[in-house]
Amino acid sequence: MADPRRMLDIALERALRSLAPHYPYPSTPDLASRVRGRITAQPIAAPRRVGLWRDPRRLALVAAVLLVLLGAAAVANPTTRDAIAHFFHVRGVIVNRVPSPLPSASPITSLDLGRRTTMEQAQSSVTFPIAVPSALGAPDGVYVDSGIPGGEVALAYKPRPGIPLVRQTGLGLLFSEFRGDLIPDFITKEVGPGTTVEETSVNGDPAWWIAGEPHTIIAQVAGQDGPHTLRLATNTLVWEHGGVTYRIESGLSKADAVRIAAGLP
Amino acid sequence: MEGRPLDDAALVERARKGDVNAYEALVQQYQELAFRVAYQVTGDAPDAEDAAQEAFVNAYYALGRFRPGAPFRPWLCRIVVNEARNRRMSAHRRVVLAERAITAQASGEAAPSPEAAAEADAFRSTLVATLWQLREEDRLILAYRLFFDLSEAEMAQALKCPKGTVKSRLSRALARLREALPADLRLPSTAGERDG
Repeated sequence: MADPRRMLDIALERALRSLAPHYPYPSTPDLASRVRGRITAQPIAAPRRVGLWRDPRRLALVAAVLLVLLGAAAVANPTTRDAIAHFFHVRGVIVNRVPSPLPSASPITSLDLGRRTTMEQAQSSVTFPIAVPSALGAPDGVYVDSGIPGGEVALAYKPRPGIPLVRQTGLGLLFSEFRGDLIPDFITKEVGPGTTVEETSVNGDPAWWIAGEPHTIIAQVAGQDGPHTLRLATNTLVWEHGGVTYRIESGLSKADAVRIAAGLP
Repeated sequence: MEGRPLDDAALVERARKGDVNAYEALVQQYQELAFRVAYQVTGDAPDAEDAAQEAFVNAYYALGRFRPGAPFRPWLCRIVVNEARNRRMSAHRRVVLAERAITAQASGEAAPSPEAAAEADAFRSTLVATLWQLREEDRLILAYRLFFDLSEAEMAQALKCPKGTVKSRLSRALARLREALPADLRLPSTAGERDG
């Protein structure tokens, strides 16, 4: 005897299928010509971006393309528009200037790096090749979070000579990577007046150096409940390469952080 | 060219090389799907239109990262959903929309139509309204399978989940829909008997 609930599900499935042609959709707009207009104005950017910073015209072109890519985030949160206009070239991170870096309403969450695992298992849980900074050697902890699109990996390094303890994380250095191309609005950084945000580059890829007073970092996937992470973060270098967004959070200087970043395979 | 569309892979390949005509053909082919998928997320036509347009532009610039030979449809769906989520309306507006659908159902019942047709209309309106009460993930997975006819493999790609979990997620969504439907709702007499 079949499960009566199952029977109902089958009937329901059929009912949904028969609803499909009658579903009250608004009429589909003609997007083809508008999309054509936009992509004709900005041809596909050349894959190599080395030398970008020395050529203002090329920079402007790539900037316009990336601005389009981030348009969604700007529409979603108009208050971030100014910040995006200046810092639009790393997907996965939005920087917001705020009067105070301290979150007013929401509680601060723990570091929450995801599940502790091995490098091999982490690799099988994410959709990008995990990069390990060769300058740092093997990490002291590998964490993976497969709850976000593409997954996120965090490599934790304990404090040691040359890598000072960071009070905010309890670690020496935290290196994380995720698919910024899939979740361009994953991380929001709220920086107060005591924090500087500086454009820089890592092997020719655009990057930001955020330093000074700790800033608030909010990681959230649209459509998921509550922020993933909401905490104070310290000096951070963030950059994107090939759709993957990388972040180094540490007590190191900008030069040291950039050197570590540049040594990635 | 009309009526004999080149297959997706060929169009994608040409678009990757900067052929704007090829990409325009892809947009034409998938704009309805993109718009409707976006609408399932936003519940609002202007937001859905915006999201679909932005998704096509983003997808164009992301073609370099598109794996040659991979299916275009689920990849596009994922980009559309990301865009649409950025514009998703507030929970409040979703409730208003559900209420509007229920009102439509009530007026549909009052319309002078043959009894069976009225029954089917009322049933559909209730289904639509109840779908809007579901979590977005549930609504989307039901729409992918039952409205947009994505295969299980395509759904796994669109939802970024293992292929093995698609079936169970689908049946959980269906169960939640069933639980959300009014207890006294009767399936129209034809819905349970016709082959799907």
